[in-house]
Amino acid sequence: MIYFDNAATSFPKPRAVIEAMADYFFNIGGSTGRSGHRLAIKASELVFNTREQLARLFNIKDSARIIFTKNATESLNLAINGFLEKGDQVVATSMEHNSAMRPLRYLEQRGWIKIFIVQADKEGLVDPAAFADILKKEKIKLVVVNHASNVTGALAPVELIAEIAAGHGSRLLVDAAQTAGAYPIDVMSGNIDMLAFTGHKSLLGPQGTGGLYVREGIELAPLVRGGTGSNSEEEIQPDFLPDQFESGTLNIIGLAGLGAGVKYILERGVSNIREQEMKLTEMFIKEAEKIEGVELYGPRDMSKRVPVVSFNISRHAPSTVAYLLDKHFDLACRSGLHCAPSAHRTIGTFPRGAVRFAFGCFNTAAEVEKGLTALAEISYHKY
Amino acid sequence: MPQSVVIVFKSTHDVIKAKSELEKACVAHELIPTPKEISSECGMSLRVEAPLLSRALELFDSKGVRYRDDLL
Repeated sequence: MIYFDNAATSFPKPRAVIEAMADYFFNIGGSTGRSGHRLAIKASELVFNTREQLARLFNIKDSARIIFTKNATESLNLAINGFLEKGDQVVATSMEHNSAMRPLRYLEQRGWIKIFIVQADKEGLVDPAAFADILKKEKIKLVVVNHASNVTGALAPVELIAEIAAGHGSRLLVDAAQTAGAYPIDVMSGNIDMLAFTGHKSLLGPQGTGGLYVREGIELAPLVRGGTGSNSEEEIQPDFLPDQFESGTLNIIGLAGLGAGVKYILERGVSNIREQEMKLTEMFIKEAEKIEGVELYGPRDMSKRVPVVSFNISRHAPSTVAYLLDKHFDLACRSGLHCAPSAHRTIGTFPRGAVRFAFGCFNTAAEVEKGLTALAEISYHKY
Repeated sequence: MPQSVVIVFKSTHDVIKAKSELEKACVAHELIPTPKEISSECGMSLRVEAPLLSRALELFDSKGVRYRDDLL
């Protein structure tokens, strides 16, 4: 099977990820923070080490500022619901995934917040000047930016947007679901206030893992309150990180896997991984463009995108193309609206949707070639 | 045997960070379940020998490890 569905979840995972998870269940098994026996200490160290690895990856000074969640969606919900208050105003882009859009629209529906949308162009690229225009006129508490679109692969110029936001006293929340592990992220130099990431995509960890980095000085209300193993004599939620936001037992086996995934990435190097993935992306785009009936979406400039490519074949519905690829070519990909209706409206593919190939760090040029042959056969009336 | 001191931390994250910093600096220590007479803080605390206490605290302060100085 050729797996080009890495934007949904990455597969395969490095062997070390599976081994770390097996090691936890075979040899550790304890919980974190509740007990003081050796297995509890080992489990606590394991979670601590995963936090430290992530802090290294994103250049976060204090790893306690990383809150573990179950995915990027929960991280975005925590950031949006925990930070915004009645009467606040927000800027988001038309490329947001529903994981950010829905919690924002919910607060808007309740009449609590006002949302200003920065419209991306047909390739999915946003212009920093458009943020400046709004921020000059309106008092904006939070700017929400999808770092890279899960539809077009378009990267947002986060550093420029961060500068503009900081200049107007607004905070910046970055949705790094498609970039963490695939594109260099530095929260310090990038001036990022909050970074939401998932563990199971380019960080190569298991599903059910993710996190939110929160810069010092930003106060959030927790989504969930409960036992933390700390301040046990108190019936009031602790006010320090990470405990304030990590009530209940953590997904320790998942975090064992995530730690191994991040370690693998740090050893291989994010830049090296990006170089390899973008080579495949460039090769695919160059050749797919030549196939009659294929329409590609997203930036042509490789420096402005991640290895997520959406396209359509004129004579078939996207779901038919995905079905044919699976059935006749042993190729896994995703078709549809990718939980991002606003992004599809932006590029003109709503409600039809598109087919999406997302290359990962284990894909090869030979696989891309097979994919191209398949698209040509599907487009040239073989099916 | 010299007298030992128990250091209590704000969170499990800090206990483990403290352990890791002490290991790096080769300061002898032991993780123990927090004695109930001291606190009902998080499950684990650190025990060091009294003469090593100032060295340990200095290390914690420089590395941003949050401990309960009110319980020392």
